[in-house]
Amino acid sequence: MKMSRFKRGSALTVGAALLSATVLAGPVMADEMALGPVVGPEVNAAKAELGKRLFFDKRLSGDAAISCATCHQPEKGFADGLPLSMAYPGSKGFRNTPTLINTALAENWFHDGRIGTNLNDVTRESITEDYSMNMDMRLMQERVKQDPIYVEMFKAAGYGEPSNGSVRKAIPEYLKTLISKGAPFDTGSMSDAAKRGQELFEGKAGCSSCHNGPRLTDDKAYNIGVAENPEIWSDPMRHMTYAAFASFMGVENYMNVRRDVGAQIIRHPADGSDIGKFNTPTLRELKYTAPYMHNGTFDTLFEVVAFYNAGGGEDANKDERIKPLGLTFAEQKDIVAFLEALSGDPLTGPEYVWEGPISTNYPAIENWREVQN
Amino acid sequence: MKNVKNTFLLMAGAAAVALSAAMVNAGEMGKYAPLAPLGDPPIPLDNKQTEAKVELGKILFWDPRVGGDASTACVTCHEPDQGWAFGDSLSRGYPGTVHWRNSQSVINSAYLGQLFWAGAAASLEKQAPSAAKGAVAGNGENDVMETRLAFIPEYRKRFKEVFGTEYPLIGDAWNAIAAFERTLIVNDTPVDKYLAGDKSALTEDQVAGMELFNGKAGCIQCHNGAQATDENYYNLGVPPAERWEEDGLAQVTFRYEIYAKGVTQDMYRELKDDPGLYFRTKEKADMGKFRTPPLRYTLYTAPYMHNGAFWDLEEVVQFYNAGGGENDFTDGTMASTKTSKLKPLGLNDEEVAQLVSFLEAFSGDELRVEPPVLPPYEALASE
Repeated sequence: MKMSRFKRGSALTVGAALLSATVLAGPVMADEMALGPVVGPEVNAAKAELGKRLFFDKRLSGDAAISCATCHQPEKGFADGLPLSMAYPGSKGFRNTPTLINTALAENWFHDGRIGTNLNDVTRESITEDYSMNMDMRLMQERVKQDPIYVEMFKAAGYGEPSNGSVRKAIPEYLKTLISKGAPFDTGSMSDAAKRGQELFEGKAGCSSCHNGPRLTDDKAYNIGVAENPEIWSDPMRHMTYAAFASFMGVENYMNVRRDVGAQIIRHPADGSDIGKFNTPTLRELKYTAPYMHNGTFDTLFEVVAFYNAGGGEDANKDERIKPLGLTFAEQKDIVAFLEALSGDPLTGPEYVWEGPISTNYPAIENWREVQN
Repeated sequence: MKNVKNTFLLMAGAAAVALSAAMVNAGEMGKYAPLAPLGDPPIPLDNKQTEAKVELGKILFWDPRVGGDASTACVTCHEPDQGWAFGDSLSRGYPGTVHWRNSQSVINSAYLGQLFWAGAAASLEKQAPSAAKGAVAGNGENDVMETRLAFIPEYRKRFKEVFGTEYPLIGDAWNAIAAFERTLIVNDTPVDKYLAGDKSALTEDQVAGMELFNGKAGCIQCHNGAQATDENYYNLGVPPAERWEEDGLAQVTFRYEIYAKGVTQDMYRELKDDPGLYFRTKEKADMGKFRTPPLRYTLYTAPYMHNGAFWDLEEVVQFYNAGGGENDFTDGTMASTKTSKLKPLGLNDEEVAQLVSFLEAFSGDELRVEPPVLPPYEALASE
């Protein structure tokens, strides 16, 4: 992990040097910035199978009303198709649900990149966060222990008895199975328009200065001036959820914030220079994951490309590289064609989805007094 | 000083028991604070009662947004038509869960120095957040609950008026709820009237019941003073909750509680009964002990005991008549802490009925209030 970060750092330095001279050119990019097929990590099948059931189990939320799959739906590219996400009952989301496809290869998570360790921590955060699944993991552990199917599955996975620690390992193992496959870009079956689009993507449009590597993201946060989604501030339930989040994150004057501060919450630079920065998202599986941007304000890929072509939005902290691109209408369409060629087969069906019923009843342990807890 | 006195009392008690297993002698009875009319509740200096605060607390008591998924308010488990408690052995619990103890009445909780069955909260101000935040109770979090209040203009206005803040603070919500709870007082029961001098307030049977209470039945040993509780902790041998043996959901919660409250690995594996006070003191000698509950209003708060083991007052009296019971902390399974105050009482059916009628006269009329109208959310303009 540390090593790859170091390498990434030096690659960026190269990128920055290039930038100062001219628009990034494809051929001189460092290897890891090259576009290419996504290679998934090794997966332990028994652990992943367990993680799959947990992912679809509503008992992993505080009131047993929602599961991970409530917002990360397989048929919607493991996102939810909404501009702003749902949330735990009683709250409403303030950001767009990101896809989980290829998330096992990411280096940090959430639109603001606030978790940069591993999916174990992401799993914990998502299960325990008030507005997310609001689960006391100690209670979750005891729920899981009460289900004989889980008792068997944890054993089969080599985890021994169910524990909240193992839940946090099994779900990431399942997420490792969610790897893109069959995209025209990977299978060499791109249309001519898509091929022209790729050239623009890596050349004139400069997209690959951030959207690079197999997942087409550098996992870094930038401010590109995406306008606010006004619903966050006009819908009191969204606004209060954001305010609760901002309060917890230590955002100054959080009751009067009316612009999502994004990555500012990580280092809280005094000059506010991280306000409005959001992580570069992956560009894979976009076919399934509209609407786009951290706040779901663009319905179509064409709108997104047009946004960049216009030089992004308005923001005092906007990244200098976001400039009008001068792309023709046809060139913008070509880039969209390339983006569409980055979507593969849907990850649906039993390989990816726990299709059996999951009973929310808990059978009693019959000889309860005789067995150890 | 207190300890010396207690030791003396215990020795005296032991001597009395040696003389007569069935009776606590009259001389010793005089050592317990007698039952007395219940006066006004104590009001903490740092949370004084005001009309506006009480009214705010009342609205909050009914508001399920003071909880995790906005479904569970204080009133959800302390229902006015169920004795301001919950009419099942184990309290209802947060959706997807069941609680693990019996819900206690809020009525007259203002007088108690320690709240919850094992006294885990030292004030109503501390009890409210524990209930609102516990995973099998309200499952709320401070940041979310506090922020919700800020988006309810009616609350902004009321909190500002009462506490002077621009935006509601969650700590003030607990203060307001506590202030409301201090108005839920029942201190004019027939027993209170009788003790205040109105000898016509009780029937002959009830008076006979009171004499048994103070004498042969020995209830006064723990249920003494104006509150009818010494606020001390005892193991009576109340049997473990049946639901822990029969109900998977209850088994989940049982294990969660012993895990969350922090016990040794061995204890986590072995416990099959609620060790009560032990969670606070971690002393084996405190296993299975629960606080003597007050007795006013009990007519409306069935079922009884910390796990709702008994469904009516007669069952409770018969339990004592038999000298209490057995549980994992009486028979040496985990400990042997049963109080020596309990011995078979030898009450006949008439005497049992007299005691029950006395307890009923300790309840008075039901206390009902008009439920508040909950104010809505509204978008918040920036300053």
